[in-house]
Amino acid sequence: MQTRFVALLLAVIALAVTGCENRSATEGDTSPINPTYAAVGPIPGTNQPNPIGPTSPYINDAVGLQEGRRLFVWYNCYGCHGGHGGGGMGPSLRDQDWIYGATDADIFNSIAQGRAHGMPAWGTRIPQDQVWKIVAYIKSLNTSREPDPPR
Amino acid sequence: MLSRFARFCVALLLAGIAVWIWIPPHAARQIAHADSAAAAPPSGYDSAAQATPANAAFRFVSPVPNGDWTEPAGDLANTRYSPLNQITVSNVKNLRQIATFSDGIPHGHEGQPLVVNNTMYIVTPFPNNLIAIDLKNLTGPAKWIFQPHPNPVAVGKACCDTVNRGAAYADGMIVYQLLDNHVVAVDATTGKQAWRTAVGNAYNGETATGAPLIVKDKVYVGNSGGELGVRGKLTCLDLKTGKVLWVAYSQGPDSDVRIGPGFHPFYKKDQGANLGVKTWGNDLWQHGGGTIWGWISYDPELNLIYYGTGNPGVWDPDMRPGSDHWSISIFARDPDTGYARWAYQIEPHDNYDYDEIMENILVDMDWQGKPRKLLLHPARDGFYFVLDRGTGEVLSATKFVDSTNWATGFDLKTGLPEKVQDKATHEGNVTMGICPSSTGAKEVVPSAVSPITGYNYIPTHNTCMNYQALPANYIAGAAFLGASVKMYPGPGGYQGALVAWDIKNEKPVWTIKDPTFPVYSGVLATAGNVVFYGTLEGWFRAVDARTGDILWQQKLPSGIVGDPMTYIGPDGKQYIAIYSGIGGWMGSVAFPTISMTDPYAALGVVGAMNGIKQVSPPGSNIFIFGL
Repeated sequence: MQTRFVALLLAVIALAVTGCENRSATEGDTSPINPTYAAVGPIPGTNQPNPIGPTSPYINDAVGLQEGRRLFVWYNCYGCHGGHGGGGMGPSLRDQDWIYGATDADIFNSIAQGRAHGMPAWGTRIPQDQVWKIVAYIKSLNTSREPDPPR
Repeated sequence: MLSRFARFCVALLLAGIAVWIWIPPHAARQIAHADSAAAAPPSGYDSAAQATPANAAFRFVSPVPNGDWTEPAGDLANTRYSPLNQITVSNVKNLRQIATFSDGIPHGHEGQPLVVNNTMYIVTPFPNNLIAIDLKNLTGPAKWIFQPHPNPVAVGKACCDTVNRGAAYADGMIVYQLLDNHVVAVDATTGKQAWRTAVGNAYNGETATGAPLIVKDKVYVGNSGGELGVRGKLTCLDLKTGKVLWVAYSQGPDSDVRIGPGFHPFYKKDQGANLGVKTWGNDLWQHGGGTIWGWISYDPELNLIYYGTGNPGVWDPDMRPGSDHWSISIFARDPDTGYARWAYQIEPHDNYDYDEIMENILVDMDWQGKPRKLLLHPARDGFYFVLDRGTGEVLSATKFVDSTNWATGFDLKTGLPEKVQDKATHEGNVTMGICPSSTGAKEVVPSAVSPITGYNYIPTHNTCMNYQALPANYIAGAAFLGASVKMYPGPGGYQGALVAWDIKNEKPVWTIKDPTFPVYSGVLATAGNVVFYGTLEGWFRAVDARTGDILWQQKLPSGIVGDPMTYIGPDGKQYIAIYSGIGGWMGSVAFPTISMTDPYAALGVVGAMNGIKQVSPPGSNIFIFGL
């Protein structure tokens, strides 16, 4: 009974997640942001995999990544997180440590919702398409895909 | 029949009462100021006259701590000198660790503890706990821990780690600032909060990291947030109630700056109405920085407080054409009304983020053959300033870190720097090789002076930078930075030094160079001719004040960014206390949240801090040493 309930729950989550991907990853979409569903903590139960959630469509898009870099500067992200995301007032985005989860959806949510230690809730201000570009740029840091790497 | 002597005594008593009635209390206070040497110093302190040794190079202007330590710098004049002399050049080699205590917060431990009535008071970095340690029971539990629970939103608004530069004590209360812009007063005996006042708003990017100064019945605090479009301000509170009495901004209309008819700046460039608005292009004064996160001084004789202001808001100078008054300025104010007596802007139209929030050391001294009331300001911009603290006249501005190249000197007739055009910064350009970097030829960590040697012991940096100004949008609560900066060690094969600066002869006498890192700790000078300071690698050192010979040193577990202090313990013996906990702006690179792969990170300091993670983990300890 319990197993079936968890399976049902997962199915609903998966459906919601797919729905979100379709809605949020549309280029040029400037509608207000609804946070995507993404579990940051582990799903209760034995060895339940966390749903991945929606992903940024710009991960391998050189133009989108460059645009993500521009927006990272434009919205003053670099002032707190470092010129190229290496950290400062806010934590580094270039390393392997993700306080609120490592998936694209987790990073999207951190930007959109803000965090209690001072990260503003940018979802009130930035179109979601731009958030996905910033997500892609952040994921590219310290990889060969990083646009305009630090020199 | 009364004897002649008894009649004389009665007459004297009656005359005394008459005088007491005749002179109103504020006038009596003024008399005390005019002759502060005669006024009784507070308990645990020597009067200025008592502390000034024979053949002194300068005279003190306020009481000097002789046992206790109740103000951030020990005294009101920011000398960081102690007349204690049990620890001397000959016996300091026997110095040993007496106790250590962790407060559990592994962030930058700037500032210094207080010692009052055999109790030591420690303010931690955020969450700004106040810990009382019984000096009679150093290995026992803390007497009490006061936990103020500041708003964590302030953590992400603090530009340069969540540091706190200490507390001040008066009237049975420990007073200090919380990172979220509350000032708290805590009963020094019970650890219970006496009052708590909000003086700023963290949601707009404002934070508080500086130490308060307490003079008589008033508390003075500054603010932080020059990288988030915050307007700098000094707030004065009533010591008893915590009520805000007045606020003096660092820019805006004269009414905001508390400039009135009694304002007499020495230089023409600083004269005129509403410079705090008129000298800012694009109305940027509204986000104009000039925050006050360093040290405040007080002269009881002139009855003036002194402090410096930080960088103008947004690091892109092209966005704010004009001189941007009163950023990067030194203010002298009436401590009661808050009105400015004079001000001097050191660098008009800042190009480099040279906050001049450094300590202003007040001494009376012969200068070029004439007795003068001096203000000494070893500046972030690499020049050693000597001012007449009555008028604001600059008597000298001499380079004290060789690599300094943004200006060749200062014109003492106009008060203006002779700027080097090649080193100017503009939108779109990367200006290379500017020295010093934004972190300065010296950071907020304070220097010390000794009347025995006449030297100012300055913790210096030899760091340079490339600087690219970038246009920025103001969004309240987010960074308002406007520059991409990369720092690196300056020329000469070293990046820092403790410099003994001969104040009178305007030259260095000796230096102890640090090949790898800037010197980022405060300094303490003592009558035993021993000077104490620490390094980012964690060496805590005792140095001969006259020669610079290292007499004793011990490696502490984490880098030192705090300020050494000294006191007399319950057993009548002299002790030295120092924090070991790396952090602050440059020291924050030791934290796991900052990546070495981005030299532009942490506002550009990462490039200058190669290897710091390998030599210093974060720490949270205080160490106490004695003979």
